[in-house]
Amino acid sequence: MLLSSIDHELRCRMLNSNLINKKKMNISKDKIQIVLLFLPGLLFFALFTLYPIYKLFIMSFFEYQIGSKGNALFVGFENYISVFTDGVSQYAITNTFIYGLITVPSQIILGLLVAVLINSMSKGQVGFRIVYYLPVITSWVIVSVLFKYIFQNEGYLNYVIVNIWEITDLPVKWLETRISSLLVLSIIGTWKGIGWSMTVFIAALTSVPKELYDSAKVDGCNALNRFFYITLPSIKNTILFSMVMLTIGAFNTFTPVKLITNGKPLHQTEFILTWMYKNAFEFRNMGYSAALSFLVAILVSAITITQFKLLGKK
Amino acid sequence: MSRRINSYIVTLILSVGAITMMTPMLYLISYSLRSNGAIYQFPPTLFPKLSEITFENYEYVLSDNLGLFTYFKNSIVVGVITMILIALMASALAYVLSRFDFMGKNILFSLIIATMVIPGLGLIVPQYQIAVKLNLVNTLMGLIPVYTAWMLPFSTFMMKGFVDNLPKELDEAAHIDGASTLHVYFKIILPLMKPAVAAVSIFNFLASWEEYGWAQTVISSEHLRTIPIYIAGFFGRNNFTQFGYIFAISFLSLIPIIIVFISFQKYFITGLTAGGIKG
Repeated sequence: MLLSSIDHELRCRMLNSNLINKKKMNISKDKIQIVLLFLPGLLFFALFTLYPIYKLFIMSFFEYQIGSKGNALFVGFENYISVFTDGVSQYAITNTFIYGLITVPSQIILGLLVAVLINSMSKGQVGFRIVYYLPVITSWVIVSVLFKYIFQNEGYLNYVIVNIWEITDLPVKWLETRISSLLVLSIIGTWKGIGWSMTVFIAALTSVPKELYDSAKVDGCNALNRFFYITLPSIKNTILFSMVMLTIGAFNTFTPVKLITNGKPLHQTEFILTWMYKNAFEFRNMGYSAALSFLVAILVSAITITQFKLLGKK
Repeated sequence: MSRRINSYIVTLILSVGAITMMTPMLYLISYSLRSNGAIYQFPPTLFPKLSEITFENYEYVLSDNLGLFTYFKNSIVVGVITMILIALMASALAYVLSRFDFMGKNILFSLIIATMVIPGLGLIVPQYQIAVKLNLVNTLMGLIPVYTAWMLPFSTFMMKGFVDNLPKELDEAAHIDGASTLHVYFKIILPLMKPAVAAVSIFNFLASWEEYGWAQTVISSEHLRTIPIYIAGFFGRNNFTQFGYIFAISFLSLIPIIIVFISFQKYFITGLTAGGIKG
């Protein structure tokens, strides 16, 4: 009896230690496997994202001579100073800001409006969703060419406002002044982006509990009140998310500006990225371009953090 | 009764909006079906007369010597490889970041989020230098790493949000049964991640399909062009833009995208909710 109990205990111990050994082996084997899973992505991220950021930072303190490789001249903060004092980069930064200030709210408001309306329909949702989403999946190059054509002096829009609606006698020169060009670019940006924010908002709206609306209805809240007191607070995080993403998107604007105005007239419609690009690849002003890029990265991070701080509070 | 009126009003507002959204697209299709000269006719019309309709733009752009098929092929190759690379790397990163603790994990995740904020083209100067060093300039393979780098942080972020929402018990149970990490990842996590991977992949494919700035910088040989550089190249050539051709190519390049969108429609929404941005 005693013997058998000791035997049993021994067996249990052995089994236990076996298990522990096996587990230890598993953990070291697992560690290798974790590293295997992790390494490709990490190396890629380090080589093609982190290293370029570091490189960008270093470059922003040097001046590169045309045609010479490696003969960089350390210039301290000179590139940053010229970014701040140069007229065109100020145009580029303000233009990008104006574009963001117009397109971000208008995409959110219109996208939310469309989402709420579509969400309230009992049938036919899919058709509308596809139509509003089409501009999102149309490439920027196509959109730019198309709108450049529509907004030409002798384009379709001028024909409508001059000959059909007779609002003005002369065609509007949309793409020849700074402000009207920015307006055109903002209209295009909004047109292309409504479908994206609509989709995000539809996803958010479907997760708002129906009971909230039902009990509000019982309490006699009208549709407008229900929207402001139930819908908006429930989708606050989604609004924040889309605001952040759209702001990043606004600072990312390159193709439409490059193809529609290309900075004309006199670099007045330059955006941050187009100006950075021109400096890097046309004027070979690498240091300046790097300083501009780096400043933008800091600027966008600051804006994003502020947005989180302002709206993220519960 | 009032419900009915409401729904009519809703449909009416949405239809007006939809027509506004679609007019530019109708314009594109309509002028792709008319001769190049028709675009300069006055007054312009939204719909072509039946007698005006011609397929000459399509015949021209589809003729062999223009190489449209080569450009399509280039765009598809780049898009598909980019999409697969990101799906593999981002899902693995997301799984490890979500399920394991190790030194520097929080720093790494913060770095991934921080780099989401940097405009893609903002890094092209140093990325171009890397491409030069690795002999990737003027090759299709030169596009893929940079596109992957641009979209990897956001894809990882979205997928991590998705993995975070998967019940931990599933993989814990498998671990107790003695399954290895790789086994858990490939046999349990990855199959469950399918909707998130699909959604993110569609976005990545679209982004690569339409990218213009980097492609235009790196690619100089004609036969290596992707669709966006090809279309942009038509623009303002010889100070005269042949809009009819551009519109025809544009419409052709839209067809595959529309098909992808309509067939994977449901993933667009799961994808957006995947990152834990519900509500």
